Amino acid sequence: MPNFSDYAFRETVSNLWRNRLMTIAAILTVTISLTLVGAALLLKQGAANAAQIWQRDTQVSVWMAPTASPSEIAAVGSQLNQLPYVRACVYRGQAYDYEEARKLLTPAEFSVLRVGDMPTSYRCTPLQSQDAQIIVNRFMTQPGVQNVRAPLQQIHAMQQTITVLQWVFLVIALVLLLSAAVLIINTIRLAIFARRREISVMKLVGATNWFIRIPFMAEGLTQGILGSGFAALLVYGLHVWLNALGNPNNPNAILTQISVHGWQMFWTEAVLFGFGALIGGVGSSLAIRRFLDV
Amino acid sequence: MITFENVTKIYKAETPALDNVSVDIDKGEFVFLVGSSGSGKTTFLRLLLREEAPSKGRIIEAGRDLGSLPKWRVPFLRRNIGCVFQDFRLLPNKSVFENVAFALEVIGRPKSVVKSQVPQVLELVGLGQKMERLPSELSGGEQQRVAVARAFVNRPLILLADEPTGNLDPTTSEGIMTLLDRINRTGTTVVMATHDKQMVDRMRRRVLELDHGVLVRDQSRGVYGIDDSAGSQA
Repeated sequence: MPNFSDYAFRETVSNLWRNRLMTIAAILTVTISLTLVGAALLLKQGAANAAQIWQRDTQVSVWMAPTASPSEIAAVGSQLNQLPYVRACVYRGQAYDYEEARKLLTPAEFSVLRVGDMPTSYRCTPLQSQDAQIIVNRFMTQPGVQNVRAPLQQIHAMQQTITVLQWVFLVIALVLLLSAAVLIINTIRLAIFARRREISVMKLVGATNWFIRIPFMAEGLTQGILGSGFAALLVYGLHVWLNALGNPNNPNAILTQISVHGWQMFWTEAVLFGFGALIGGVGSSLAIRRFLDV
Repeated sequence: MITFENVTKIYKAETPALDNVSVDIDKGEFVFLVGSSGSGKTTFLRLLLREEAPSKGRIIEAGRDLGSLPKWRVPFLRRNIGCVFQDFRLLPNKSVFENVAFALEVIGRPKSVVKSQVPQVLELVGLGQKMERLPSELSGGEQQRVAVARAFVNRPLILLADEPTGNLDPTTSEGIMTLLDRINRTGTTVVMATHDKQMVDRMRRRVLELDHGVLVRDQSRGVYGIDDSAGSQA
């Protein structure tokens, strides 16, 4: 139907230009709302990334008794390395632990230590931080083992914080998404309300609902895509800025840990684009519905 | 062309806007719909446009029973009906040509048809020289001529006019009436709601009078008020 597509294109372009103030208002609404949504999504993903880093760095120390025989030490090491939930284990001899103690203790405390007094240890990284507790339980009573230490309380507190943070950012993103939808639909409705007379004339001369709807939907779609495009640019800018603030030489810095990866950025941008287009097209279709019922 | 069979229309449980109206209008007739404000004239026209559905009774228009017409078919019904209103209902940001062309574009007529038919019908209504003007640059009478051109460009079977001369001075009204008469002579059925006594009395066409929704008079070659010399069908 070349006649109709020509008409729809012409109407869409001329309506966008004729109602340029409303068009700008709608695009700005979409841009601001979706930028906030995108920022919340980025922070949620950043929190998830930081959580992964913290979990990866969780360490369980299995301290061997000074009286442990070499066969007991070897048995513990071999068992640890066979566990499916242990990523890696490193054996630290007396000399290593002695040097570590030097860093941790005051000179007065350290002066009473001898290398021969130092216990040896296995430093293990579990696949998931929750597995630390299993390692503690399993090796606490093992012959030759003096003690098993894991930052269980810290892990628990950290997990809770991350879960709460992720939920907070998700809820913020959803609330912003909802308010963006309402704002965008309202802006489109205002634009359509201003043209209700035109719609009633179209109905009177025998235009079908789809004939009336399509230029309005195309208009909403254009506003949605342009608005989400600007939002995507702003969110990308935020991502670049946060990455620049993070210090790649200091992996422990919080801003370095919450930075998001390329594909996560891609999906965030895709969600913004998809939502912008959806809300623009479907929103205008919903907004026009009541004016079509004549 | 138009048949009302015991049609009643009630809005929200108030007194009926139309009360058990039965009437037949033949093809090519010119019918005046008269009565005081609130008598049901506009409801009569709205029912014909299928903007409203009757509460009771049956309406048959151009061979179609409007009661059994699905909603999606309503636009196709309206393509056979031209409408003219007191307030013209032109699109202010479109030129005279575009306003008339709009009625053809909306029903998917090819560009070639639009280009040939629009100037033709604008010549007919005497606006051949003002095709590029905007409605705001025209007088009230000229705006109503554009509305008539838009209503007629699709050569409808029926033309409905709701007080088309209500906003116009007597001389301009005369011009609009002449135009509607010319359209009627092409075979188009014209139903016109009006308060213009002089016009109805001068034209001497069929008159349907409504009073509180009741059809109280149906006179061929009637006048605005009751005239015993004219034949009554009611």
